[in-house]
Amino acid sequence: LTNAQYENSIHDVLGADLFVPTDNEPDYRLRGFLSVGAGSASISPRGVERFEQAAFSVAEQAMEPGVREGLMECDPVLGAGDSCTRTELARLGRSLWRRPLLAAELDAIAAVVTEAGIALPDPWDAFEFGLALLLQSPHFLYRVELGHEGISDVFARSYDDWELASRLSYLLWNTTPDPELLDAAEAGDLSTDIGLDLQVERLLSSPRAREGMRAWFGDMMHLAELDDLYKDPGVFLHMSDSLGASARGETLQFFEHIAFDQSADLRTIATSRTTFLNREMAALYEVRAPEREGFGQVDLAGDGQRIGILGQASLLALAAHPVSTSPTLRGKFVREVLLCQLIRAPLAGVDTAIPPVTEEAPTLRERVAQHLTDPGCAGCHDPMDNIGLGLENFDGIGRFRTHDEGALIDSSGKVDEDLFEDPVGLAQLLRRHDDFAACLVKSFVRYANGAGEGEGQAEGLDWFVYEQGLDQHKLTSLISTYVGSAFFRQAGVLDVAPASPSGDDDDDDDSAGAGR
Amino acid sequence: MLDCFVNDAGTAFAGGTSFPRRFGLFFWGNGTLPHRWTPEGVGEGDAWTLSDQLAPLASVKDLISVISGTEVRVNNQIPHYSGAAGFLSGHAPLGEEGDNTFAAPSIDQVIAAGIGGETLYRSLEFGAYPGSGLSFNGPNSSNPPESSPHAMFERLFGVGFVAPGDDPVLDPRLGLRRSVLDAVLEQTHSLRTQVGVADAARLDQHLSGIRDLELRLARMQENPPSLESCSLPAEPPLDDAIATLSERNRLLVDLGVMAFACDQTRVWSDFLTHPVHNFIFPGTNAGQHRLTHDELDPQSMVHDTVIQAMDEFRYIVEALAAVPEGDETLLDHCAVLATSDVSLGRTHALDEFPIVTAGTAGGFLRTGLHYRSETRESASHVMLSLVRSMGIVAASFGEDDALVTDGLEELEA
Repeated sequence: LTNAQYENSIHDVLGADLFVPTDNEPDYRLRGFLSVGAGSASISPRGVERFEQAAFSVAEQAMEPGVREGLMECDPVLGAGDSCTRTELARLGRSLWRRPLLAAELDAIAAVVTEAGIALPDPWDAFEFGLALLLQSPHFLYRVELGHEGISDVFARSYDDWELASRLSYLLWNTTPDPELLDAAEAGDLSTDIGLDLQVERLLSSPRAREGMRAWFGDMMHLAELDDLYKDPGVFLHMSDSLGASARGETLQFFEHIAFDQSADLRTIATSRTTFLNREMAALYEVRAPEREGFGQVDLAGDGQRIGILGQASLLALAAHPVSTSPTLRGKFVREVLLCQLIRAPLAGVDTAIPPVTEEAPTLRERVAQHLTDPGCAGCHDPMDNIGLGLENFDGIGRFRTHDEGALIDSSGKVDEDLFEDPVGLAQLLRRHDDFAACLVKSFVRYANGAGEGEGQAEGLDWFVYEQGLDQHKLTSLISTYVGSAFFRQAGVLDVAPASPSGDDDDDDDSAGAGR
Repeated sequence: MLDCFVNDAGTAFAGGTSFPRRFGLFFWGNGTLPHRWTPEGVGEGDAWTLSDQLAPLASVKDLISVISGTEVRVNNQIPHYSGAAGFLSGHAPLGEEGDNTFAAPSIDQVIAAGIGGETLYRSLEFGAYPGSGLSFNGPNSSNPPESSPHAMFERLFGVGFVAPGDDPVLDPRLGLRRSVLDAVLEQTHSLRTQVGVADAARLDQHLSGIRDLELRLARMQENPPSLESCSLPAEPPLDDAIATLSERNRLLVDLGVMAFACDQTRVWSDFLTHPVHNFIFPGTNAGQHRLTHDELDPQSMVHDTVIQAMDEFRYIVEALAAVPEGDETLLDHCAVLATSDVSLGRTHALDEFPIVTAGTAGGFLRTGLHYRSETRESASHVMLSLVRSMGIVAASFGEDDALVTDGLEELEA
């Protein structure tokens, strides 16, 4: 689970008012996504320690008088007459582990509660240990989605109903399945097309789907990094501690508006002039604030240079330096994040110095010209810098400017072989770029699967992109195509785990999970 | 992999006559200016003088050794990261689509695997400038550093800390928490048998974290070792009240030093900054990484940032030297390595690699030395000496071109 998923899941199962520590282990970005990192990185010893503390902190809060009554359907008692502990562990465990607990698993957890009941006089305190156990378990902390070998095709491991419920819920709501979805899984509905479609429709019609899809877009756009936005306030007078959060708010509302309110072609994010600003962002963009508090819709001037996602402070500030812009970083962001193209790291040993400001070369365009003329640099820099230079009218935090070091900025450039004159032309080229539509699909699949593409999946993706094009690139069709595809329903081939290293597992066990 | 085990000298700790050995890593990002880094003269004592960039270490010159002229022998494919991984682990990093990770454990974890098992914490990682750190157990398995002194204090000296001479509080909850962990361990084991290779490796890391925590809970109920210099440190200020990177680093270091003095851990890493970091140091006008590439010669602001980093290293050396242990000091029982990810930041160079050590690790290492390699020897030699200085029997360090089977003889006493 990512930290957001951890927090959401606990809030949904145990109560929205609980304080959930989320600094247990930093999210880890792989293949461009935190969701992929959550599916691949290890938890450090310190992380294990923090998750243990967090589990007890949450369990203790949940067992407080006044809180526990809303959570528990019966009262646990000490000793042999207790019928409550087991049923409640089973009920809460099913929600937290996203599947029913096996009898042996339940036995082991109930035994810990019984042991606690001997040492502690209060049955609620004893139950707390059972709850903390559920929360520290790998079955909660990891999304265990293994798939099951089919009869017809040994390479296609299909997910079972419980796994599908978990995948669907974390994808669309970014949280653990709700009771209705679990009931559908239990009834076997999710392995039928009709049953699955019904649940997709139900989940998508909830406002929570907006949150879930914001999580995708925010992950794709690296918006979490806006928390640590580091800019010199001496250079950027509009910089503040809240600017990063405001810029993120703009981009997420902008995305939500296109994807949900308008149900528009997702490529519109390149060219839409409609955005959402709070007072801070309105001041940065030099427009009238639409609302006193919070965000309101703004239609930016149709003849202005600020257009689409490339005109937003979130991207412009993230892909820049603490005291200046960076055509290279911005071009790299567009290539890697919006076009899913890979830019090689610069060769080590290259002298990377940029020449100083001189009268002949006042602006960054002239100063980075070497990138574009030196053949050793140009191979990689040409495709990046020629995009980034088109955004030089926006400073390192996204404020519009016409001059750099006193010289008029020339914001022309090119994308591949297509020339553009200014940011508006760049936005239009981006929207039309074949790789842009494909990248939205690819990013979605990566995020949703929490993994890079497996072997043989690239061709499937091409087909997917084609289908998506036929359907006007809408988010809803993207979701339904994905959910209907093997990407969603089947796991990759499983590398068989070797026997445990010697000495590591003398007590290697067996029974509890084996038939899952 | 290293075939690690510890000989008697590494752990002898009985009767208060011999003290455990400890390892510290001090890391700063983006390198040095090599022509202003390398000391004049070679040898010991007055035979050499500190360079411009090492000048802050004047007060501790006899307690450190400078090793210059070595190179990190990995293919320098990923700027900054190849050098960091190549030196700290002796292996070229793994990098796929820009996702960089270590192929093998970093030196702190190599050493922790050998000597970390007897203390409450196998190792500690902290760093003033927030980031993901460079302490790795293996691919995609890192130990992220703590950047909040207050959180680190709570962890080490908060509830459950027992000072020497105090009796541990017998809390029934500690035993129950271990029962919970036993059950989690069982579940994790069982899950491990069902998953693929990559996930099994992740669960192995998780299992080892659970075992560490179980052991820690058990040891919290034991009497602490009797150590003269161990005491409860002052509670550090909350994060908002810390003004500078230096102040934050020193608060973290103070806690790390006391964690050594109280034998809560024998290995820690301090990441002042990270490769490619863009912190704007006091007295400079741009992010530090940016400066290394864009500032005009003579790069006086870059120079200033290296000076500031060395002043933080001086603080570490002095803090360790200020703690008495028997007739000696805590520093005498430590080996501390100070290093970075490149030498000259502008070109990401891996020759002239910056290496300073402090402490003798119980008489194993020489100090007051400037050793200059005239033949661009592999920097891995230093690493193997450091691993062995901890009493760990290791046949080699690194792989491929970075593989060595000998330590750096001149550094060993």
